[in-house]
Amino acid sequence: MMNGMERLTAAINGTLADRIPVFCNLLDQGAKELGLSIKEYYASGEHVAEAQLRMRAKYGYDCLWSLFYVGKEAELLGCRKIIYAKDGPPNVGEMVIKKNDDISRLQVPDDITSHPAFAEELKCLRILKAEAGGKYPVCAYLTASMTMPALLMGMEKWMQMLMMGPAGLRDELLTKCSDFFQKQVAAYRAAGADVLVYSNPFGSTDFIPRTFFDEISLPWMESDLAPGGTAGVVYYCGSARFNDVIESVIQNLGIGVFYLSPMDDIAEGKKIVAGRGVTCGVINDIMLLEWSKEEIRAEVKRMIEAGKPGGKFLFGTLVMPYAIPEENIRTMLEAAYEYGRFDSE
Amino acid sequence: MLEQVMTQYNEAIMDTDRDRALQVVHDALALEITPEEVVFEVVVPAIELMMKSISENQGVSLAQHFMAAQIASEVVDDMVPRFRKAPQIIGRVVIGTSQGDFHGLGKRIVAGCLKAMMIEVTDLGLNVAPERFVDEALAHDAQVIAISSMMIHTARGENGCRRVRQILKERGVEDRIKIAVGGAPYRFDPELYRSVGGDAWAENGITAGRVITCLIREVRK
Ligand code: B12
Repeated sequence: MMNGMERLTAAINGTLADRIPVFCNLLDQGAKELGLSIKEYYASGEHVAEAQLRMRAKYGYDCLWSLFYVGKEAELLGCRKIIYAKDGPPNVGEMVIKKNDDISRLQVPDDITSHPAFAEELKCLRILKAEAGGKYPVCAYLTASMTMPALLMGMEKWMQMLMMGPAGLRDELLTKCSDFFQKQVAAYRAAGADVLVYSNPFGSTDFIPRTFFDEISLPWMESDLAPGGTAGVVYYCGSARFNDVIESVIQNLGIGVFYLSPMDDIAEGKKIVAGRGVTCGVINDIMLLEWSKEEIRAEVKRMIEAGKPGGKFLFGTLVMPYAIPEENIRTMLEAAYEYGRFDSE
Repeated sequence: MLEQVMTQYNEAIMDTDRDRALQVVHDALALEITPEEVVFEVVVPAIELMMKSISENQGVSLAQHFMAAQIASEVVDDMVPRFRKAPQIIGRVVIGTSQGDFHGLGKRIVAGCLKAMMIEVTDLGLNVAPERFVDEALAHDAQVIAISSMMIHTARGENGCRRVRQILKERGVEDRIKIAVGGAPYRFDPELYRSVGGDAWAENGITAGRVITCLIREVRK
């Protein structure tokens, strides 16, 4: 049997594998796995690493996550309050930027790796690399410069500043967030992360009009990615659709992996990528709370039939809600392993 | 002439150009178009036109929703005091995000659209406890409680819409107050509103205006 890294490499190179790679993004579920509250769980990188390894072994999927929760990035930029729920992901509980003046005061740490908020994640990454390095890809999650302000000032204020200015202040903030991104991506690469999920809802025309994408989103994405390059980078718009910008992303940014929205047409996405990269079909995992076994299997089948022919395809989930029953996770995965098989083609 | 104003205003909205939209309105006033006409013949139809493009699947982005709501509510704030007589209010709504949820953008867009449609909106803010939704709805004599949630656990959780429904039932006011819900989880699961006890949901801020107007009419009937 092949391992996750071999399957992923085969998908990237378009060579043969036993089946398509399957990425199942279980985060908060790790707490359940270890019998801890979500707050206790995220206090330690050892917890997260252990649960990531255990869940991967238990379910047999192909990825490991160094991500705790997205709000951690705000902690690196000064947020000191995280709100924990008993049955859902932690959230940013304090806005680092409360008023416009706070933007000039915002400081991007020179060395992210020495920041206390990064220490546990680094610990987690080291364990994952030591235990599974080279066998299962270790994924890191990074928020694009244009989306980062949502975590620092809230989507509401950010949307207002992005659309209505003042433009000078907006650009000052974006410059800092892009600097932060560049440092973060370098730190993750140095720590051995294999897959770098580049998250940017503002890279989707569900969020901004096409002209805005061309004139503003693209240049900031170029700024984020230019220094470090696009090796291992995955284009992801936080589950918003992006088939209509794939061509531009390939041409202008050179990214080679596309983590579609569940609302994107997989076959269409794959046709646009046209062998120049890996297309990831992503299930609407919120429905795993409701669907029957038959419905889950039918959906997985539909998705894989749309994306598998010709290879260079991966099956994935979004951020799996905490309340999804284990049985439904298994049903989805078993269907993905079954329909995703390459029978001596 | 009014038609031309409407076209120009619509174009500005779709281009997310606030300054141009406000300029169009001010130029219109200078041409002796009345404040009433600005609101009812320009701003409200622009929102309706947007609903039409959405239902025809012509892709209206979140930024365009945001700007449409923002500009509409600014124009309405500016025009209403200039009306010859106070406008007729269609109904009253209290709106907030569910307990444990600090995501306010959806609420703001919805509130802006409601205001432009002459619905009185009381904004209860973020992280609103279920009891407070009901208390405030009764205090403001609101026909609709509008609850916005961005995460699955705040949409489905025991302190969200489900609890609001239970309190309405306990207090025997279910025929007086309806619940509208919305936010990301409802877009991923269009049946979710039912299982949490909502009366209706809407996919975006613009259609929220229509859905909530229907609920108000139902209560007032
Ligand atoms: C932008 C975004 C982000 C950004 C910004 C987050 C922020 N602070 O605001 C980033 C990338 C940072 C992010 C992070 C996270 N996110 Co996020 N994010 C999104 C995304 C792409 C859009 C959300 C948004 O802001 N939309 C804009 C608002 C205005 O849209 P809306 O709420 O849907 O509102 C519209 C309609 O729904 C309607 N409406 C809204 N309210 C109401 C109310 C009524 C009464 C009515 C009638 C209508 C209505 O009108 C509105 C306007 O048109 C969604 C996916 C998606 N495509 O929707 C995921 C999503 C909301 N995120 C999700 C998650 C899980 C997270 C994290 C918790 C991940 C993590 N484990 O850390 C973090 C939390 C960060 C934090 N706050 O600490 C999940 C939530 C589902 C779940 N599993 O619980 C989603 C759905 C993605 C997914 N499917 O996995 N996220």
